[in-house]
Amino acid sequence: MLPSWPSAQAQGQAGALVFAVESLAAQTLDPILEQRPGNAVYQAAMYDSLVGFNLAKGGTGPGVAERWELAADGLSWTFFLRPSQTFHNGDKLTAQDVKFSLQRQMAPNSTAATAATMRRTIKSIDVIDDLTLRVNTNSPQISLPASLSRAVAPEGAVMPHAYIERVGEEEFRRKPIGSGPWRFLRNVPGDRIEFEAAATPHWRGTPNFKNLHILLVPEESTRVAMVRTGEAAIASIGPETMLGATRAGLQVLSVPGTMQAVFQFWGAFRPDQKDNPIAKPRVRQALSLAIDRQELIKHVMNGKASLPYPFATFGYTESFTAERWEKWSREAFRYDPALARKILAEEGYPNGFELKFANTALPGTQFMVDIGTVVADMWTKIGIRVTLKHYEWGSFQPLERGDQAALAGWASMYRTAGRPDAPWRYNSSYSPDSTQRLLGDKDNCQTACQAFVDVYRALLDERDPTKRTTLNDRMVEIIADSWTVIPIIEGMGYYAINTKKVGQFAAIPGRHELGDVFERIPHPEQAPWKK
Amino acid sequence: MKRYIAHRLLQGVLLLCLVASIVFFVGRLTGNPADLMLPEDVSAEDRAALIQVLGLDGPLHEQFFIFVRNALHGDLGMSIRMRQPAVEAFFSRLPNTLAIIPWAILLAMAVGIPLGVVAALHRGGWIDRMAGAIAVLGVAIPSFWLGILLIFVFSVQLGWLPSGRMGGPSHYVLPVITLGTFLIAGFMRLVRSSMLEVMDSEYIKLARIKGLRESVVIWKHGLRNALIPVLTLWGVFVGNLITGAIVTETIFAWPGIGRLTYEAVIFRDFPLLQAVIILKSILILSINLLVDILYAYVDPRIRLA
Repeated sequence: MLPSWPSAQAQGQAGALVFAVESLAAQTLDPILEQRPGNAVYQAAMYDSLVGFNLAKGGTGPGVAERWELAADGLSWTFFLRPSQTFHNGDKLTAQDVKFSLQRQMAPNSTAATAATMRRTIKSIDVIDDLTLRVNTNSPQISLPASLSRAVAPEGAVMPHAYIERVGEEEFRRKPIGSGPWRFLRNVPGDRIEFEAAATPHWRGTPNFKNLHILLVPEESTRVAMVRTGEAAIASIGPETMLGATRAGLQVLSVPGTMQAVFQFWGAFRPDQKDNPIAKPRVRQALSLAIDRQELIKHVMNGKASLPYPFATFGYTESFTAERWEKWSREAFRYDPALARKILAEEGYPNGFELKFANTALPGTQFMVDIGTVVADMWTKIGIRVTLKHYEWGSFQPLERGDQAALAGWASMYRTAGRPDAPWRYNSSYSPDSTQRLLGDKDNCQTACQAFVDVYRALLDERDPTKRTTLNDRMVEIIADSWTVIPIIEGMGYYAINTKKVGQFAAIPGRHELGDVFERIPHPEQAPWKK
Repeated sequence: MKRYIAHRLLQGVLLLCLVASIVFFVGRLTGNPADLMLPEDVSAEDRAALIQVLGLDGPLHEQFFIFVRNALHGDLGMSIRMRQPAVEAFFSRLPNTLAIIPWAILLAMAVGIPLGVVAALHRGGWIDRMAGAIAVLGVAIPSFWLGILLIFVFSVQLGWLPSGRMGGPSHYVLPVITLGTFLIAGFMRLVRSSMLEVMDSEYIKLARIKGLRESVVIWKHGLRNALIPVLTLWGVFVGNLITGAIVTETIFAWPGIGRLTYEAVIFRDFPLLQAVIILKSILILSINLLVDILYAYVDPRIRLA
């Protein structure tokens, strides 16, 4: 049965909101075939996620589920869905759809990033009633709601069970339907995806535009030209283009807390690196003190970046005393080349030393190469003789695997994306059996490494919010004191905007992409969107 | 002639096998697509699972044999990124590229051929030097710079033309100029040297002795013969455009096979990259074969050799 809500026209929706973006990734509307960036850019427009955003602060918030509860034994999560949600064909969205969607994400043919983890951790899924769902896990999974939140990953996308069963997967991929504020119209590979405002009021916000066109325009100067000429209203840009866009009369929107650019040390704990200067934490700290972050922010990031929190933490990080760590960061990440030189001298390197530094940038953050180059230059000022080697990301990643022979004893640029649950990211860098294992491996897990392992294990099972914050802070402290991954700047997402085409709006802190924002963007003459 | 064609076909097949093998192995030296698809904090378990789903978990030689076996049955695999048959992806984008190539060649011929003739007729003079300078510029200006400059002038400043993307006739102007400019130089230089040779020949002198008008001597007798080498160049140019439209298609957000190639490289989409290169090679080999056959008809010395 079709809902009796007013049509898009009747609600005063008009015009097309045109957004130009550098990549549409897999450009498929099937959530199990797309990864996080593509999901966040365009799939988010038409699919809702089980857990959503905290729009004002960033991080997780209500989504398809209004709230969720952990069982007393920690082995199951119960999700309570909003009533009266429908898919674009009018079918009711129920707990059965959520169960089906999670099972689809976990299926063997899924290319979801955490499909294997989901298969290992989720034991079963019970539909209690139409609006209640219980996810049973094999061990306590405190971070499960965050993992099913679009603030973190795309795996919480809710798909229509009955529709997919009726039409089959192939037809679903051709004519997908979701429950989001935008309804799929057409997908032109390599060119664009078009949506139409759903003809129903939506809890995420009812679109002000009738259509949404997401254009694939790989070249940044073309995207900016399109915004200048009005062919597009909004375009994603990099920090190097911000100044030009502003001079051209465009408004630049910055999204805070979308990533951290960091440098990190590989295999510093290994016995074969004991004579390498970077094996000493104080030497690593000295390298941090030699970085003038304010200059980097001013000149490389055009003022649109900020001093970072400790590794992989942000203002919106969960179970984390942000004020304490903000203060800590101001002190720890200061520019003090005199102290850096003094530390080097005390550690036995009054004339500096030779440092091998791999400069690389993750997809979408090409400016990291500039940051790496400037950092290397700053190190030379305290006597470090830097051997700088540039790597394309695809050729850098294999070096991390296996015995890391080509990286051990090196420093490198790296990145961490903005996500609210720090333990997941810490585990991927510091667990002795992780790929990166920056503090120690299974055979060499010394004091700091063991302390991290203990705190991380305790965190996995800790349900008390206060104790969880204490443990999280302790985990951050262990890593911060190790100086193995050192944040350089907290980066932002940047957009050039033609204010004659769209009105004032804000992005979601920590969420670079606008897939969950389009519905709230007003026309120029409309009131600004408020969180 | 049949032997000649059979010989060229055999050469083409061998070349294709070589290209396919090189693309298969060199592509895999550049890293694993799973690393570009997955976030930086993914677990080793999840990475291994995705590699298995993508069919990249077996030994390289096994993957190669599977690729060869499937290719012999006309199946060039499934795009890793788009989860779509790679051949289907190629042919869905090919018409977009073919839509601009003829216009670019037409533009290049319309400007390059008269310029070459005029330059030859004024050998050593200022017109010749000017034409030479234009030719050098055409080759020297990087197409990405020219494309951006054209967008800035004609879209942003003057507002006459769209900045990019496929659409009506106005959307074709800037990409066609960008693609065609590089070819103008080639046509001009070839026609100039060919005309110089032809205009010194006995039959041109005879035509003049017969009292034919100079314009008839130049444009009918001179140019017609001077255009024979251009035929060969035409085949090379079409090949260049099919393979070399990557930059132009990227700048103008044109969803053709140039962009598809670029995307396949960037995402390490091995099956798509293999399919695109193999199919492009078939296209280029076919065009070159056609040109060679035509040339052999036009100039019997070729087929006799």
